[in-house]
Amino acid sequence: MATIYLDNASTTQPDARVLDAMAPYSAEQFGNAAATHAHGRTAAQAVEQARAGIARALSALPEEIVFCSGGTEANNFAILGTAWAAPPGKRHLVVSPIEHASILAPCAWLEQQGWHVTRLPVDSEGFVDPDDVRRALRPETVLVSVGQANNEIGTLQPIDAIAAVCAERCVPLHTDACQSFTRVAPVGADLVAVNGHKIHGPKGIGALRIRSGLRLEPLLRGGGQESGLRAGTLNTPGIVGLGCAAGLATADEALKIGKLRDDLAESILAGIDGARLNGPRVNRLCTNLNVCLSGCSGRRLVAALSRLGVSVSRGSACASGATQPSHVLTAIGLTAEDADSSLRLTLSKWTTADDIVTATSILRDAVRALRSLP
Amino acid sequence: MTDDRKPDEHLDLRGVRCPANSARALVRLQGMDAGQLLEILVDDGEPIAHVPEVLDDEGHRILSQVRTQGAWRLVVAVGG
Repeated sequence: MATIYLDNASTTQPDARVLDAMAPYSAEQFGNAAATHAHGRTAAQAVEQARAGIARALSALPEEIVFCSGGTEANNFAILGTAWAAPPGKRHLVVSPIEHASILAPCAWLEQQGWHVTRLPVDSEGFVDPDDVRRALRPETVLVSVGQANNEIGTLQPIDAIAAVCAERCVPLHTDACQSFTRVAPVGADLVAVNGHKIHGPKGIGALRIRSGLRLEPLLRGGGQESGLRAGTLNTPGIVGLGCAAGLATADEALKIGKLRDDLAESILAGIDGARLNGPRVNRLCTNLNVCLSGCSGRRLVAALSRLGVSVSRGSACASGATQPSHVLTAIGLTAEDADSSLRLTLSKWTTADDIVTATSILRDAVRALRSLP
Repeated sequence: MTDDRKPDEHLDLRGVRCPANSARALVRLQGMDAGQLLEILVDDGEPIAHVPEVLDDEGHRILSQVRTQGAWRLVVAVGG
């Protein structure tokens, strides 16, 4: 039976080089990176080496990188940390409606606390118009949040243009770059969230780039680690793994993945009756494909494909058990029925041309079988 | 100790605790050529006791160590 993994937007297989780099820091180099003895200094140096590498990958300064537990914490920290540091009277946020739950949920929570949240419109491919951002800004706006690459439909937002609009009004811009980190050139956002397990690194580690001069209140208080911004003993193995993974990715790799993704899209759209692309044809993250296969239940398709050795998903793993249709797909205009009939197929550097051919064939058969059910 | 040569690079470690401050300095020094000068600002207290000692242990030379407003300015020559 085939074993094809096409759910890389959910998580990726760790690279063996990353695991090798991490291993000593879970074994003999176990020191606490906050301790000043030799064991601690060894760990601290590994942490700072990783911090420098991640800063380079984000075109940022090492001191702008704060390590945390993952993308969800990094996004929560960006939203809540900014809100809690805001002066009295400034209680307005601007957010795209197709963001990950780790952004929308803290925004909704702040709304319950009396904050005002403007949700930007998106077009039928998921793009935010920078002019809409300009119109949404108010004197009391403290933050704009627009993800660099959407995790369900791969839309690459015009972050540089949005950053320019925000800069004109001195409003910081946050972007969730968990899907795009190392695959798309770094952007000019002030707060950038990244994590390890989307780029063949470990789970449980992430980082927030905080541009120098911005002030955030910490989510976690305690021992003063990370310059007082994120308390807790540093996860040295995870940090080393994140730094290693960030250094392994190449531009050629992204081009190769994009080519395979285009082949997959073409074979599905041409080979399966009624298949439609969700999201953009251009300015799309190289790893992402999302298709609507009308007449098939997405839940049943995922289960059928899984039985045949192909792992795909319906959307964000953080909402895959949800009974509601995808908020991303409905925001770009799909009906609840079409959203329910949609699949997300996401590639990695290890996806092969054979995987694409085999997966397409299995998908075609599964769709035919499901559509023939009474 | 004083030194009048102009530093090649600068690193502000004020507010960074031990041992992250010395570790960050070592990472920066690794990227520089032997003999180049790095100017480092560190806090008073444990950092000024800790950072020069670690850099010296690692083979770099502390050329100057001067108290400035609320901090210390170190000039370090990259070891060979």
